[in-house]
Amino acid sequence: MILGLIVDNVVLDALIRLGVIMLLVPVYMVIITWAERKVIGRLHMRLGPMRVGPYGLLQGLADTIKLMTKEDLRPTTADRWVFELAPFAIVVPIIMALVALPFTADILIRNLTLGLFYIVALQGLSIVGFVMAGFGSDNKYALIGGVRAAAQLISYEVPFILSILAVAMVASTLDISAIVGLQGSTPLIAYLPLAFVIFVIAGLAELYRQPFDIPVAESEVVGGPFVEYSGIRWSMFQLGEFVSMVLISILGSLIFLGGWQWPLGGDVPVVGQMALMAVKTTGFILFFMLMRASLPRLRVDQLMAYCWQLLLPFAFLQIIINGLVLAYDWPNWTMTVMSLAALGALLYLTNRAARQSGVTYQPSTASAQRVGSVL
Amino acid sequence: MLGILKAAATTIRAAFRRPVTVQYPNEKKELPHRSRGFPVLLWDFEKDESFCTGCQVCARYCPVDCMTVTMKDNPKKAEGKSTRKKIVDKFYIDYARCMRCDICVEVCNFDAIVMNNTWEGVELSRYDRQDLVMDLPALQRQSQSGELKDPFREPMGVAHSGWTPKHEEEEEEAAKKEGGEK
Repeated sequence: MILGLIVDNVVLDALIRLGVIMLLVPVYMVIITWAERKVIGRLHMRLGPMRVGPYGLLQGLADTIKLMTKEDLRPTTADRWVFELAPFAIVVPIIMALVALPFTADILIRNLTLGLFYIVALQGLSIVGFVMAGFGSDNKYALIGGVRAAAQLISYEVPFILSILAVAMVASTLDISAIVGLQGSTPLIAYLPLAFVIFVIAGLAELYRQPFDIPVAESEVVGGPFVEYSGIRWSMFQLGEFVSMVLISILGSLIFLGGWQWPLGGDVPVVGQMALMAVKTTGFILFFMLMRASLPRLRVDQLMAYCWQLLLPFAFLQIIINGLVLAYDWPNWTMTVMSLAALGALLYLTNRAARQSGVTYQPSTASAQRVGSVL
Repeated sequence: MLGILKAAATTIRAAFRRPVTVQYPNEKKELPHRSRGFPVLLWDFEKDESFCTGCQVCARYCPVDCMTVTMKDNPKKAEGKSTRKKIVDKFYIDYARCMRCDICVEVCNFDAIVMNNTWEGVELSRYDRQDLVMDLPALQRQSQSGELKDPFREPMGVAHSGWTPKHEEEEEEAAKKEGGEK
């Protein structure tokens, strides 16, 4: 009876769904910080947190209590409103992006017909928060970090969005549920491997995680934009980081890996759908953690050159391939073949660029000697 | 590019190895035999008294003046149970001052003092600095109770010089062997 009333009232229904998500997000954040420390620890041949609770299970809770009760410091010379609002400028858009994100066919807040566009638009807003934090802290490290964040996030936003656009071209819709619905038998990664690789690399850079953690590098800019933050505001930055990691993982498993449809088809019960989504999302998150434990940080010029000289042209190449196949009604497998060939070229050029920046190899041509060139 | 895969493979392989972490207060690494904790006194089980005669050589050579030693007539000598004329009366070492230089061990004529090579020789956090001044019972406790199972008796500097002290027991054994052969 009451349930029926709630479901009938659109606003109330949405508010309750949002409330549930808002409650689950911090809980999830507590769990995933523990999981990340544990996984990274094992990858380093350490144990990770072990003291608080069995196997350190309550470590996240202890950290939460610590961060909540810590003093909320603000430098006297900081720009008060810019400084204090910066964490909100990062967290609020990311949580708003969760509104349009379907977790399974039925568990979602609102399915928007322009859902993909909405999520990408809000995801890109976090740049504002970084620049605000960097500018408002009145600290040179924070400012450098903020500027680096702006440069990196704006640059990688372009290939990131273009790779998502490739998906939208093939699916000819921006409705995420509809995109997942198309992938009952074949996930889109089979047609767009190049777009998938670009999505993962650019997503890693969007999350400013290793090896793209240039804006928040501890050894260079002592934490970047977060350097002056403490307590609850600092943990809001962390919340934003982890939620956007989950957001990109879920988005990637929805639009590339077939979400709750592939490989079981659409007729699985909710539990099966959730398990399928959990496996795919966890795969993404574990991959991000593995990259964090394995790779050293890039230099700023390498990062920028890689984005503008390699990722961006290849993202356009994927769009052109899609356009050719769709416009001339070529069979689907041609798209796979061309995308794979382009992926091979991308990997080859990446490999060559990595070798060129090594110590032993001296590029011979004048164009290759340009500072930061990867081509 | 291949390097990325190699790095990932390395970290994944590391994940399946046994972690190197030692959960310190619960489990402890075995200390090396020559581990140099704070100095403690050794107990002569044969005569049931301390090796230390209170001769004050260690106190005089101590560069940081952390020791205070006094001597007394050995009551067991009068009873005929011991050959030591003098025995240590009071012995204080201020562990807060001691810098673990090993000089007291090197100068001791009776091999009565050693550097503690157990964890108790380094786990010495106290709430009051005064508690770090050890008296004679505290200095003898570990050796007397047998907790100090395998003290490193040779002075460290001597150990590194290649000279080995003569052990009477070994000599006796060697003499016995020679006698047996003859």
